[in-house]
Amino acid sequence: MAATFKGGIHVKEHKNTAHTHITAITPPKTVKIPLSQHIGAPCTPCVKVGERVLRGQKIGDVSSGLGCPVHSSISGTVKEITYHIAPSGARIEDVVIENDFQNELHPSLAPSKRELSSTTADEIIDIVREAGISGMGGATFPTYAKIKSAIGKVDTLIINGAECEPFITANNRLINERPEQVLEGTRILLHVFGLDEALIAIEDNKPHSIQIMTEMSKDEASITVRPVKTKYPQGDERQLIYALTGRQLPTGKLPADVGCVVFNVETVASIYRAFYLGLPLIERIVTVDGDCIKEPKNLLVPIGTSLKALIEECGGLTKTPKYLINGGPMMGHAMWDFENGVTKGTSAILALSEQFTPTYDQPHECIRCGRCVSACPMHLTPNYLAAYARRGLYDTTDELNVRSCVECGACSYMCPAYIPIVQYIRVAKAALNAKGVKR
Amino acid sequence: MEENKSVCPVEFPEALTVAPSPHVRHGENTRGIMLDVIIALMPALIYGIFVFGYRALILTLVSVASCVFFEWGFQRITKRPVTVTDLSAAVTGVLLALNMPSTLPIGLIVVGAFFAIIVVKQIFGGIGKNIVNPALAARVFMFLSWPSEMAGYPALDGVASATPLASLKSGDLSAIDFGDAVRMFLGVEKSGVIGEISVMLLLAGGIYLLVRRVITWHIPVSYLATVAVITLIFPRNGADNFLFMLAELCAGGLVLAAFFMATDYATSPVTKLGRIIFGIICGLVTVFIRYFGAYNEGASFAILIANLLVYYIDKFTRPRVFGAKRKRKEAER
Repeated sequence: MAATFKGGIHVKEHKNTAHTHITAITPPKTVKIPLSQHIGAPCTPCVKVGERVLRGQKIGDVSSGLGCPVHSSISGTVKEITYHIAPSGARIEDVVIENDFQNELHPSLAPSKRELSSTTADEIIDIVREAGISGMGGATFPTYAKIKSAIGKVDTLIINGAECEPFITANNRLINERPEQVLEGTRILLHVFGLDEALIAIEDNKPHSIQIMTEMSKDEASITVRPVKTKYPQGDERQLIYALTGRQLPTGKLPADVGCVVFNVETVASIYRAFYLGLPLIERIVTVDGDCIKEPKNLLVPIGTSLKALIEECGGLTKTPKYLINGGPMMGHAMWDFENGVTKGTSAILALSEQFTPTYDQPHECIRCGRCVSACPMHLTPNYLAAYARRGLYDTTDELNVRSCVECGACSYMCPAYIPIVQYIRVAKAALNAKGVKR
Repeated sequence: MEENKSVCPVEFPEALTVAPSPHVRHGENTRGIMLDVIIALMPALIYGIFVFGYRALILTLVSVASCVFFEWGFQRITKRPVTVTDLSAAVTGVLLALNMPSTLPIGLIVVGAFFAIIVVKQIFGGIGKNIVNPALAARVFMFLSWPSEMAGYPALDGVASATPLASLKSGDLSAIDFGDAVRMFLGVEKSGVIGEISVMLLLAGGIYLLVRRVITWHIPVSYLATVAVITLIFPRNGADNFLFMLAELCAGGLVLAAFFMATDYATSPVTKLGRIIFGIICGLVTVFIRYFGAYNEGASFAILIANLLVYYIDKFTRPRVFGAKRKRKEAER
């Protein structure tokens, strides 16, 4: 039996692109690279309008505090420095670069000159930071900071290839087509943490990925592939740690507090590319899918490529989309501008039509069916949370641990009354934060 | 890109909808759930009509029509959104009829429907807000108000006979054999309200609800198991332990109550442990009333009493949040 957790739901998988090879996108004419793509401080641009930049050249960095640099994903000329409004409401600066199609790599980029065994953890942390690597599963926490804070505290290294969101197959394809990158990246992390075991978690709806990874690592005692049950949200850090180690991560704590550290497989592959190829994080795999997309694909995309270019690469639209989702349909953000660029955290772009996102013609009244309660991976009572939040009784939601909610959306997904439960919970959390109530 | 654009069959829209995640849904809705409950009740209802004749059908139709009408009328008068298409009023109508003897005067079932929908459901805020089961509350209300009309069980085969429950309570049971239990299970030579006749068909409906995941096993299983254990240990009137247990399980509206009445979402707990406790309370009170109460049947009262405890059951069985320490350990720290 594959390892799993209590609660969670079975979502319709829609893994239409599970057998679609990764293809490089037609080089875009321009890229619009956001200067804030991760948790932490936004970057300050270090290039000027009109300046020629090369592929892999740093175009923005953070002077102090949490954050990591951003690099040009193509070679060309900086056309303008503009801004857009992110789904979070934040104003984010973008560097727009016009492609000269020379694909000229910055000369400073070079693989590490030393063997892994003689490289210190601090040196690797530097390499990872300079490569601008942040979590590629969606939460976009700067990877160097994660490594730094976890060193010496962890006994278990988990590589997350669960990919539990519907539609997305980017990790699946990465494991199938570039397993050596994941494996080498894992070795680098084992070396950094001084650990002798890494667990690679893959949901059991990807038997081929499990087989390939197991085959690749069979002579390696330090790397174990662990199939996990196909269930949403299996790829959530908390649920994954619990499934593999039985440890429960309390709200407000980091995985390192329970001796674990979790990296997404594509993040791990990026660490490999940074160390062995000297490449910063300037491209990523994006699943482009949804019922409005003519030909769903897995694309290798330079960071900053417009969402429009991605959809055009897939043959365009067959229906008028209602939603354009950055990420999975369960936790992704609804976008409103086709011109925005792909970021380091964009695992998928989904164009979903009206028919695909059903609504319900009845008033949204809770019938107390309890589906949300059994769905909740954090073991909350979402029906009560939503009811209290709706009435503005935020303190009561606090007593019911509203802040433990990970906003996975399982409750809203299941609700037969179509109550936007997670949104009520977000409102309650925001109200509590605004009041400054301490945990 | 130009050649790509020319084959692009649909233009990029100028506006997109921005909404909070999740952006997809399971697709099941309240109406579908209620429809499943109605489907699950059909075998028992059709058999009831077969046994008791066209009058059972008329009572059911009047009951459903009245329930839907009262819900529609109340919502129109109070200027609330009309929700009769969610079918919850129709479910109440069917359940109400199934809990009536087929000889009931037609006028009375309209009164019952009024009590269920207006007094029990709408006054408390409509679907999901009522604190007791509307159909059961109406049944008990009518039972207390018109006791003789509510006990008019038709004689079968031209011989006036007591219902099995009445026999269990006061008769001599030393002669009860396995065949009696089987007949009660199948619903032959048995009298009672329209919907409680065939345990087999009620079970079929219950299993349908379980398979369709409309209900979970917790309430029916804990309810029936509680009744089974007590009746097995303490048989009455000289009966064999096992046969008495079978007879008690098949008698009256127990199976109807356990699968269709006790599992009513609005009036049962939302947690799994809570549902098990709820079922046990229902079972205990049912048996106590059957053994010691003035009435033959205890299921209706049992569920109504348990309904009133639901908020507290939910509160005390609230799951421990993932990652939270157990209370005792917290105190030690």
